[in-house]
Amino acid sequence: MKKVININFQGRVVPIEESAYDVLKQYIDSLRRYFANEEGRDEIINDIEGRIGELFSEVLKKGSTCVTEDDVNAIIASMGRPEQFDDDEARVQSQLGSQQYASSAENAGTGNAGGTGSAGGDNTTYNNIPHGRFYRDENQKVVAGVCAGIANYFGIDPLVVRILFVIFAFGFGFGFITYLVLWVAVPSSASAVIGSPKKRLFRDPDNKLIAGVCSGLAQYFGVNVWIPRILFLIPFVSIVFRWHHWGSFDFPNFLSISFSPGSLLIYVILWIIFPEAISTAEKLEMKGERVDLNSIKNTIQQDMTGFKERAEKFGKEVGEKAQQFGRDFGSRGRQFSSEAGNMARRGGSGVGHVIGVLVKIFVYFVLGSILFGLSVGLFVAGTALTGFLPNKNFVLASGWENIFAWGTLLLFIWVPIVGIITWIIRRVAKMRANSKAIRFTFVALWIIGLFCLIGLASSMYEDFKYRSHTDEQIVSIPNPTVKKLELRGIYPASDDEHYWFRIDPFESIDGDTAYVKNTRIRLTTTNDSNFVVSIKRYSNGSSRDQAKGLASKLTFNFRQKDTLLYINNYVTFTEREKFRNQLIEITIAVPPGKRIQVNQSAGGWGFEEHVDFGHNWYYYDEDNNDERRYFDYDRDREYINKGGRLVRYGWQETRDEDNSDNDGDDNDTNNSRVQQQKVQKDTTSGGYRYKEPAKNPANNKKDSLPGKQAKADTRMTLPTAFIQRFSI
Amino acid sequence: MDIQNTQSQMRKGVLEFCILSIIRQGEVYPSDIVEKMRAANLHTLEGTLYPLLTRLKNAGLLTYRWVESNSGPPRKYFAMTEEGLKFYGELERTWNELADAVKALTTPQEETTTTE
Repeated sequence: MKKVININFQGRVVPIEESAYDVLKQYIDSLRRYFANEEGRDEIINDIEGRIGELFSEVLKKGSTCVTEDDVNAIIASMGRPEQFDDDEARVQSQLGSQQYASSAENAGTGNAGGTGSAGGDNTTYNNIPHGRFYRDENQKVVAGVCAGIANYFGIDPLVVRILFVIFAFGFGFGFITYLVLWVAVPSSASAVIGSPKKRLFRDPDNKLIAGVCSGLAQYFGVNVWIPRILFLIPFVSIVFRWHHWGSFDFPNFLSISFSPGSLLIYVILWIIFPEAISTAEKLEMKGERVDLNSIKNTIQQDMTGFKERAEKFGKEVGEKAQQFGRDFGSRGRQFSSEAGNMARRGGSGVGHVIGVLVKIFVYFVLGSILFGLSVGLFVAGTALTGFLPNKNFVLASGWENIFAWGTLLLFIWVPIVGIITWIIRRVAKMRANSKAIRFTFVALWIIGLFCLIGLASSMYEDFKYRSHTDEQIVSIPNPTVKKLELRGIYPASDDEHYWFRIDPFESIDGDTAYVKNTRIRLTTTNDSNFVVSIKRYSNGSSRDQAKGLASKLTFNFRQKDTLLYINNYVTFTEREKFRNQLIEITIAVPPGKRIQVNQSAGGWGFEEHVDFGHNWYYYDEDNNDERRYFDYDRDREYINKGGRLVRYGWQETRDEDNSDNDGDDNDTNNSRVQQQKVQKDTTSGGYRYKEPAKNPANNKKDSLPGKQAKADTRMTLPTAFIQRFSI
Repeated sequence: MDIQNTQSQMRKGVLEFCILSIIRQGEVYPSDIVEKMRAANLHTLEGTLYPLLTRLKNAGLLTYRWVESNSGPPRKYFAMTEEGLKFYGELERTWNELADAVKALTTPQEETTTTE
């Protein structure tokens, strides 16, 4: 059972079997390619089509209801396949001949005869090239045939010359240049005798797994096809083994492995650059074999057996469609690459070719890297956001935001990911990938996703528009008189290291309460004799009032054990309150001569990695009437208040004494580790005055002055081993 | 040395001469040329013929006219131009010279080759 379609062929309606139509179309396409460089291409093809049309009507006249595949094959056999036509040599010859007919009829006959002679002579003279003259041997070349040419000139094995070249010349570094000079200076064997073979890089469609790049390379270098394949696979396999790095989103690691897929990238680049060896002549060129009738015949016979095998494997139609797509892709790629560098390819003379190819490789590499980065970025974002999805109620407010968020996630991020994966699968499975409907659907969905993203972003911007904070509040610690205070972080009780997925700032979710590592520790000095701990709560919100309201809901927990001060390392908020970048800022004022150390575990996330433009980093402070200066500090290092400044305890102490008069000088080399955050000198004391909390009447309800606090707390902290826990 | 290759090279050389000699005898349709050549035991493919005719036509040696056909699309009938006739004359002369030369060379040479 076969489907019959009607085609308009040379002005006649011809009923034809669909499979026969495919064969016919392929045949005419092959003619079109074969005559691509011929002057009267369209006319020739039109003539041939006309003749085929005539033969069709003969078939139909005989009483057949339609043209069958056998009919088409018979007609093609009588017309001859392009591979059976007299190939390149004949064309060159008759072109030479016809030029001569045009110029002078008298010489034409001899010209024709001469053409025949030279064409026949190619076969015999080719092997004689090496004797006497030095040519680059295009037939046996690996790079440009220089070594093979030398070998032929001296009558030795090219392998010997190559090895010598690599060891001696390349070993001393100037071999590369020598090679380039020889490449330019020595004529190619192809230019010496017209029609002699020239080895070129093609994609080999007959032995392909994906696009034939590896087998093309193997043909070019004359090695087993599995050698380039394995070379391409090794780095790829290594990514798969390192895949587990991706789960943690460890970015420096992630960037370092992004080079491994380079082989994939190179493959795709080569895929685009190498033309596919479609015609028999090209296939022979790929192998560096002489193009003549006999070799073409042999190749076709091989092709036929190969085709049979393939047909048995995949079924004819799939194969044809795949070939068609491959061809389309190849011709598109060729068009593109000819734009990139027209100096390269066909003319392909030496260095120009290499430079062209290098430029192309570079351009494609950059473009490919960008594309690859974008798709990996999308994938990472998609995975991260999907992982975050269960927690979305902690961030998103209104119903619209939910819709926008879903739209963004599904359409803006996952649709392109699915699109890319689909494309790759289709490509690998050799399916036709030019379905316009699918493409338009993807683009349309993505545009909807883009609008969702814009909606979500503007909505979120409104939610985060205002930032507000509560007034500074003194926290009474049990024992503020200690000589040294070491800050450590408390983690949420439900903290569990075995998350399958975790986004760094979101420490954990416990029921309807989220814990976010959003705390900041600032160090300053005080003239008081006790440590003073104060906190300030920040939040964003859609209005200033809402922001302040959210900020005031933040709780701060701490406990002290001797010199250890445990502070909570996170802010908590409920699903109802939402995440609005709530932050608790903890300020520790260090009394003169006392020491402070901030443990790695305490305070916020990303603290060490903040972007610091030089050392003039000021914390942004909305009310801006804060006169204290804050000190930059390293984690796990001990600092001491010396003359109103925090300096590293121990190693710089003695030298610091000498410079004590330079107090507050930013250029003070001894204080390079302790950078000033805010320099506002108190003229009365000569040091830096701590802003008395008494000035904040709002705080007096709960908190007393540091001095009183110290007195009151001495009673409570008598059993120092006892750990007290306080909450504000 | 491949015998088939040499044979095809020889045939190629005389192909144009043969085609032109057929056309010289009168206006012909390409498939007629193929038929006539086949009858003379000189096989050629239509796919080879059409490009060759187009080239010869473009070189000004041939001309053609469209003839309506009952059994399909209109047909192209080829005929010789003045220039083509002149060209054919040259080819014919060369061919005769060549044929004589080959004949002259091949007949006595048989003796030498057998002795070798």
